Amino acid sequence: EKWAVTRTKYPATTLALQNFDATYSVQLGQLWPSVRAALLSERKYGALLNNYCHDDVQAELQAKGCKDFPTDKEIEVQPCLEQEPEVAGEEESCRVSVEKSDPDAQQLPPLQLSPNIKCLVFPRGDITRFKPARPDMFGCLGYYLMDAASVLPCLALNVQEGHNVLDLCAAPGGKTLALLQTKSIGFLCVNDTSVSRTSRLRKVLQSYVPKPFLSEGKLRITSFDGTKWGEIERNTFDRVLVDVPCTTDRHSLMEDDNNIFSKNRTGERRRLPQLQLALLLAGIEAACPGGEILYSTCTLSQVQNLSVVEQAIHTAREDHGIHLQVVDLRPLAHMFRKTFQFAPNLPLGVMVVPHIAANFGPIYMCKLRRLA
Amino acid sequence: PLQPTLHDRELNPLSRQPVTELSLPSLVDMGFTDSQAEQMYEATSKLRGTSTSKHALSTLTALFVLGLNPSSVQKILEKCPELYTVTESQFQQRIGNMRKLGLVEGSLQRVVSHYPQILTVPVKTVKNVVLFLKEKCLFTFQQVTDLLRDSPAVVLEDRGQLEYKFQYVYFRMGIKQAEMVKSRLFRYTLEEVRCRHCFLERRGLYQTPDKKGQTMIINPKLDSILHFDQDTFLTNVANASAEEYEVFQRLMAREWLEEEQLQGNIEAD
Ligand SMILES: C[S@@+](CC[C@H](N)C(=O)[O-])C[C@H]1O[C@@H](n2cnc3c(N)ncnc32)[C@H](O)[C@@H]1O
Repeated sequence: EKWAVTRTKYPATTLALQNFDATYSVQLGQLWPSVRAALLSERKYGALLNNYCHDDVQAELQAKGCKDFPTDKEIEVQPCLEQEPEVAGEEESCRVSVEKSDPDAQQLPPLQLSPNIKCLVFPRGDITRFKPARPDMFGCLGYYLMDAASVLPCLALNVQEGHNVLDLCAAPGGKTLALLQTKSIGFLCVNDTSVSRTSRLRKVLQSYVPKPFLSEGKLRITSFDGTKWGEIERNTFDRVLVDVPCTTDRHSLMEDDNNIFSKNRTGERRRLPQLQLALLLAGIEAACPGGEILYSTCTLSQVQNLSVVEQAIHTAREDHGIHLQVVDLRPLAHMFRKTFQFAPNLPLGVMVVPHIAANFGPIYMCKLRRLA
Repeated sequence: PLQPTLHDRELNPLSRQPVTELSLPSLVDMGFTDSQAEQMYEATSKLRGTSTSKHALSTLTALFVLGLNPSSVQKILEKCPELYTVTESQFQQRIGNMRKLGLVEGSLQRVVSHYPQILTVPVKTVKNVVLFLKEKCLFTFQQVTDLLRDSPAVVLEDRGQLEYKFQYVYFRMGIKQAEMVKSRLFRYTLEEVRCRHCFLERRGLYQTPDKKGQTMIINPKLDSILHFDQDTFLTNVANASAEEYEVFQRLMAREWLEEEQLQGNIEAD
């Protein structure tokens, strides 16, 4: 029968696990067994609170023991705040490290986060699940369930009043929705190359955000190839979110359908870093001078994370004359260490690594600022 | 009720003739201390006058015949008062059967002391379990003897559970019969075995051997997976924190419950 014929010796999920065992045991060392067990166990969700909903969903969830993690943070100062992020564009090598010597560093304003984003989670070790969200009297859903760590890139993007924002790879729209919760965006460009996924995103937005906020004057949804953005709209956006396609580690271990590790997608998988680099570069070009770009993935892979960012910084300078500064996100990691487990000592960017008691992530993110 | 005392006995020397009911003096005669005798007398008081009361004596006899001393006998009966209701011929059959299964002196006493319930189990049930272990699980005669000696409770374990546990360890963990016997697998519940194994497996520390019995990593021995208490297991074998294992156990319990429910729904359809 057909099943027997098409069945391969190793399912894609097994291939993914073999690949991760080989690469991550080297990359994460002693941490890998623990991360591995977390990745293979039930993940946790966060409830991104919908500020457009009229019900007091937050109180309801809090009564069940949830906490809004962005407000449930550690505030005491820690040593890494004293470190000044280096200006990568001014260095010879493209290897980026963080300089420690600037005496003015302590006067830097603390890391600013996007306002109004609320995401409720059950405490560490609590495995309670969320119920599906209910609509309010206007049909607006109370919360959107997503990996709570996926909210971090949106917080880190630091959206401010009136900002022109681009979400380059947006579908299915979890992060778009989080960005909209700030209620401070001037104009939001939402893009994803996949037409079917863009239409899903449209439906998501419609069930969470009232029509007036989705009008043409506030929001534009497109299905372009994001790598071409630099050719269309350069030097435009105050904030750019580049949430690239990646090996989606958790998904690849769990679902054989549509798995990037299946044999017939090997080429596509190998080309991912290239595509990621092109998307990040396009995002960098789309940002205005002084604008900020946030690169994020949901993989632990160094090749898709650090290496892509390093290469992008280098290429932006060499080929486009764009100089970038790496914004130190370690204060953010410190702030939210109660909710998430972060990888220690990452030379560039921060990464949430799954832990079975705080089973969020993986999420890698790195923030860049375009210099004038 | 009238309490017989030592005094009665002196007045009534004929009571040394055929005893069919337990009395304090007869217990003392058998070698129990006064306080042991009183406790046992108390314990059997509920039986007095019923048809089973006459078995009490044969029970004691049977246990003494096995070579157990009075204090072991008392402990055994405390652990398993059901033994008072077993008839003489049942004892003979059951003990005879255990001898036939290779549980000779020493082992036999040990099994009965540890797990007196085994003498309440009909010969037919034990035979069926043995048949199952030999024919379905392919344990050798000697292995079955060892299994019964080390984990006599298998005779009363639910057949489905037993079969599932065997298959789980044989197929999922790739472990042969000899190692199962050596590690006293059947002393542990399916949940314990499965939980520790899955934890190791998800951490990348255990692999199901392929058809040739090969693995890419060296699996820990079944014995070291099962035998240690939780803390030692976590530090020596799993290399994980107590928090991780505690959350994992809760996740697994929910996962299995949902699997069962799903299975139930499918069967109901
Ligand atoms: C990780 S997902 C984005 C998830 C989304 N930001 C969210 O939070 O819901 C990556 C997306 O990139 C899109 N994509 C892939 N190649 C692209 C390209 N060349 N240009 C734009 N989007 C692309 C995929 O369709 C996919 O939806």
